[in-house]
Amino acid sequence: MTEKQKNLRLFVPVYAIFFVIYLVACIIEPTFFTWENNVNLFTRITPLIIVGIAQTLVILTGGIDLSLGASIGLANVIAASLPFVNSPANIALWLLVPPLVGLGVGLVNGLIITRGGFPPLIVTLAAGAIWKGVSLFVLPEPGGEVSRGVAGALTGTLFNFVPVPLVILLVVVFLFQIVLRRTQFGRSVYAVGGNETIAIESGIAVDRVKIGVYALSGMLGGVAGMFLSGWMNSGDPLVGEPYILNSIAVAVIGGTSLSGGTGGVVGIIGGAYIFHLLNNILNLLAVSTFYQYVAKGLILIAALAVTSTGAGIRLGSIFRKRREAESG
Amino acid sequence: MEKAKTLAPRHELADMLSRNAIFFLLFLLVVAMFVLGEIVAHGFLSLSHIGAILRTASFLGIVAIGQTLVVLSGGIDLSVGPIITMGNVFICMFMNGLDANNVWSLSAIILLGLAFGSINGLGVTYLRISPLVMTLAVGSLVTGLTLIFSQGAPKGLASPLLREIGVGNLFNLIPAIVVTWAVLSALVIALLGRSVYGRKLYYAGANLKAAALSGIRVRLVKIIAYALGGACAVLSGTLMAGYTRDAFLGIGNEYTMWSIAAVVIGGTSLTGGKGGYVGTIAGAIILVLLESLLTVMNMPEAGRRIANGLIILIMISIYFRKRNRG
Repeated sequence: MTEKQKNLRLFVPVYAIFFVIYLVACIIEPTFFTWENNVNLFTRITPLIIVGIAQTLVILTGGIDLSLGASIGLANVIAASLPFVNSPANIALWLLVPPLVGLGVGLVNGLIITRGGFPPLIVTLAAGAIWKGVSLFVLPEPGGEVSRGVAGALTGTLFNFVPVPLVILLVVVFLFQIVLRRTQFGRSVYAVGGNETIAIESGIAVDRVKIGVYALSGMLGGVAGMFLSGWMNSGDPLVGEPYILNSIAVAVIGGTSLSGGTGGVVGIIGGAYIFHLLNNILNLLAVSTFYQYVAKGLILIAALAVTSTGAGIRLGSIFRKRREAESG
Repeated sequence: MEKAKTLAPRHELADMLSRNAIFFLLFLLVVAMFVLGEIVAHGFLSLSHIGAILRTASFLGIVAIGQTLVVLSGGIDLSVGPIITMGNVFICMFMNGLDANNVWSLSAIILLGLAFGSINGLGVTYLRISPLVMTLAVGSLVTGLTLIFSQGAPKGLASPLLREIGVGNLFNLIPAIVVTWAVLSALVIALLGRSVYGRKLYYAGANLKAAALSGIRVRLVKIIAYALGGACAVLSGTLMAGYTRDAFLGIGNEYTMWSIAAVVIGGTSLTGGKGGYVGTIAGAIILVLLESLLTVMNMPEAGRRIANGLIILIMISIYFRKRNRG
């Protein structure tokens, strides 16, 4: 089976589910299909997709990053507390500092996990608590400020047509698809997650790969925190909290296995959409948020049951067989 | 092979003895924190304050019973927070402040806990969903159901009996809830150390394939662990209702992470099959003690979070140094 077909097998179920939900949404609620609603959706899912990619990178190596919420939060409060507000210097700092802050958080995680040989779950949980404490020192209450115009630029359109968030999310997904599938580092990520012993024996610098994914995860968390600060034009030390578990959910719905080694970023857009569309539909239908929790739980279980028991793989193989029959 | 060796009860005892250094360390940490507290604020070491700390630790300790069982089985339970809140909200609705409702309310709430715990277990075993996301999804489901049935504004009150357990003292000295915790602790320590189920749980957690091949019904063993986890969580929520008299929707939020922290500080390995409840008891007391200590030191929330994170990192580095050496 070629790599392309492997990709298909993983991602067909995600987009099938996405398509069904989208279709249902358009039928039951005509306002859903409006351009405004869709642009609004792009803005909302962009941070989710960025952190979904971050979590996917870590999960692919067999780890997990529970400090993502804290790297988002820390980058977010720092982005909203930068000096020289409303000057080009502020915007330059705003673009530069938050990703570096996230990178630092991720590097520390990676170093502790690899040097100490500790379980990622508990290291990132503890590190998350520490960095959350630091963000509360930086900005005890939601507040702060980002330069004027940033929010408009982030949620605006290019050439009066293409929504900026859509561009951002496509660029990020495309970039990391290339990193994972076309570079040495990407292949090493899969190798480490697939079988660490074999990866070590075949000469891969496993520790360096792991430090790399945690650093990238932290950096992407920083980018998400930066995006949120710009979009909301303020900082909030706890803004990242929901993203910890949502990023895991999105990565898993997107077809990445929590045991490591299989998956990728192509399914993330579908995963994030499924996760978010439900809220969107239920909001449009004016369903109480109470039921949204129930729906989210049920959809998550259903999506996971489909992907983990092999139903998704069967669906993919039917697809493959039909293609083979057509070509043969 | 090495993993399998630690599994027989005789070896488990040996394992426990070899880890006595850890228990000594945990004990020392508790004493040091008490002394430090007394230095910072006079009265920290008074019987009433120790009682108060143990009472707070009881809520965490009881949830952590379930978390310990689940972690020993090789899983993790992120739904305990929402399930605590469900127990807290529903028990007040059921009891409605009347002792006449005690029996059916308590049975119903325990059954609910067992049921949602079993759903976790079924998803993990039969649907082969990773425990992390399965319990996360069930947590979301439980939160929604709690909100729907309470319509976002919990009603009802704990019955006088439950209230007595929540705030009363035995012989005017030991909080009744601490006695409850002690009884449950004795039961779970016996379950893990002396029962067939306990042995199967360690075996399944350490090496699932070997356990299955040797004829253990690993799925059932795991489902029972998750079911008991759910029961412990609702029980903790019920006792919290006894303490505060009425229900509060966010009451369980922090307990998911806290229970995992207590288990880890207590030396139970997150990969499953290694550890026990004795360490978790120390872990729960240490976490509550730390919170209390930082409060009397007027530490802001930011500093408390940093201290919580640091203590987890320090404890795991100690455990891992020891494991790598021995």
